[in-house]
Amino acid sequence: MTTEGTALVTGGTGTLGRELVRRLARDPQAPGIVVLSRHGREAEPAFPSSVRILHGDLRAGAGLDLSVKAREELSAEVTEILHCAAETRFTRSLEEARAVNVVGTRSLMEFAGTCRRLRRFGCFSTVYVAGLRTGRFTEDDLEVGEAGFANSYERSKSEMEREVRAWMADLPVAVYRLSTLMGDSVTGAVGRPNAFHHALSLLYHGLAPMIPGDPQHRVDLVAVDYVAAAACWLFRHRFEAGRTYHLCSGSGKSGTLAELIDAAIDSFHRFRPDWRRRQAEKPAVVDLATYELFVRSVEETGNEVLLRATRAVQSFATQLAYPKIFDTARTEAALGGSGLRPPPVLDVLPKVVRSCIEADWRPTAS
Amino acid sequence: MLPASPSIGIAGVSYRLPSTVLSLDELHGRGSLRSAPETLAGFGFRQVHVAGGESAVEMALSAVDRLLDETGVDREDIGVVLYAGALPSSSTLATDSGQAGGELHLSEVEDLFKYPVSRIQAELGLDNATAIGLSQQGCASLFSAIRIARDMLLAEPDLRAAVCVAADRFPTDARREMIYNVISDSACAVLVRRDWPRNRILACGHVTKGAFWDASEMENEIIAAYFPTARTVIHDTLGRAGLKLDDIAWIVPHNVSLRSWEILLGLLGLPREKLFAENIARVGHTIASDGLLNLRDLLDAGRVRDGDRLLLFTFGYGLNWSCIVVEH
Repeated sequence: MTTEGTALVTGGTGTLGRELVRRLARDPQAPGIVVLSRHGREAEPAFPSSVRILHGDLRAGAGLDLSVKAREELSAEVTEILHCAAETRFTRSLEEARAVNVVGTRSLMEFAGTCRRLRRFGCFSTVYVAGLRTGRFTEDDLEVGEAGFANSYERSKSEMEREVRAWMADLPVAVYRLSTLMGDSVTGAVGRPNAFHHALSLLYHGLAPMIPGDPQHRVDLVAVDYVAAAACWLFRHRFEAGRTYHLCSGSGKSGTLAELIDAAIDSFHRFRPDWRRRQAEKPAVVDLATYELFVRSVEETGNEVLLRATRAVQSFATQLAYPKIFDTARTEAALGGSGLRPPPVLDVLPKVVRSCIEADWRPTAS
Repeated sequence: MLPASPSIGIAGVSYRLPSTVLSLDELHGRGSLRSAPETLAGFGFRQVHVAGGESAVEMALSAVDRLLDETGVDREDIGVVLYAGALPSSSTLATDSGQAGGELHLSEVEDLFKYPVSRIQAELGLDNATAIGLSQQGCASLFSAIRIARDMLLAEPDLRAAVCVAADRFPTDARREMIYNVISDSACAVLVRRDWPRNRILACGHVTKGAFWDASEMENEIIAAYFPTARTVIHDTLGRAGLKLDDIAWIVPHNVSLRSWEILLGLLGLPREKLFAENIARVGHTIASDGLLNLRDLLDAGRVRDGDRLLLFTFGYGLNWSCIVVEH
């Protein structure tokens, strides 16, 4: 039996959003689901028929690009909002990133303010609002001081969280910060490749000579199914307005940069034995200055292939030179009784690599 | 108890650089560059040396003749001549040295058997020397010749000295830029001697990765493979010598882009001051001669002290990464 009310989901066609919608649709305790999408029904034909898809756009302001009637009806029925929509491409300009991540979120907040039956609002963000800070970053932290950010995505998400925190006085909002999504922990499927998968692909194709960072520093990646399950649990069973949660692997389950590189190369050998014949060398882990000198040299030569390769990972790779640990104390406490824990990254990575190789580095269905 | 291994040392280096010099702008004007001159200048290049009517073997003869004069070695003591050409055209006498450069000009099939190394042996009176040609090592050719010479001197007690010589001359109208490096013509000759404590060869290291044989198709992969493999080869060679990077007083480079050396130094964690880089601008990349040519100039500059350990590194198509560690 479906709980009364309606859950509005934005970004339902993204890697996480799609997983959340499927989980909610399977949950007999969950309310009805409406996915707000710029692309309409064509965007996700695999959703169950019970999922309604509304054609709308966060960038259009509080009206969400809906008709007045549709907006009023939606406003009257919505009891929950899961805001996953985001511009996640690191290479976008700051204005392009803000248009979705800041202005779009503001529009949704304004719309949420009209939803009289709203019980909870879950806003998804990134642990990388920590920017280029190093060391421990807690779930309450937001300031990065003079450290700055690696890319427009991080900066715009930080700005978004500031606005969200201001809205917390008026709306029942919780923030869920994600680490880098690596794929499904069981199948290894990758819904939509991100910068991490681009980096893996370059490594596989012998186009990654060096990676910035420290071999012994930990890199936080996380399985998408864990994130979706944990988010659903926290949102539906442990919702607490005004709180922020870290949905990441944390220090206990993540791997060091050296371990990740070794695991990736071991997986290449294991799942594509012919790969050995490429005689590829393990990339060198270098300091950021050396890496940036290489990137600058590629830019000066105008070599298109290497330029695309270095740009694809540069903003992601920069973070590797700013090691940090994302504190998960609040999340771990709130997940008590759920049985949910992040799977060890080094256990998931081979599955993701296998999935990527078998799909020839194209997106795979989860 | 086994007798101690004899010291094998580099007793002399001489080189031949053609006197004709072309600046980057002149090369650009001739259509010999792929990149903008200012880009290549930013990578540390300034000019190249270009052979006019001189063939590769003529440059080799000049370099070996000078080596014999400068070292004063008894020609009868030379037991081996190793002639190393990176370009196929360097390993034959059947080329037109004037206009076509590297093109084969065969009048009869016997032309294919006219070898440069035999001519060097004959013209320079190295009558006791076995003459051996070495090819397909790219810019690592001379390093490979030295390694083989060292191993022969260690293995054959009768051998007292070996001459290694590399010579390459680009075809006259060929592009003179490869992977963002500008190319000079040159020859370089090296005398390797038994029981020679000066510039004692402590270790040689070499890696070939044939998977990258197709240089034109795999340029990006080659650039990417270059750095981490270079680091591995350098570390492995130092390990073979029982040394660490901190033990090295000078890095004697191949004259590829200074920028690439700065990146490699970053990978190695070495300071820029240890790199002898002056010849990158002055000489350009002389294919196989760089490392030993630079060693000669570094020694002549009086900047090497007794006991200093020097690391010579080069890289060639094939692909070949090669490293030699010597103690002065």
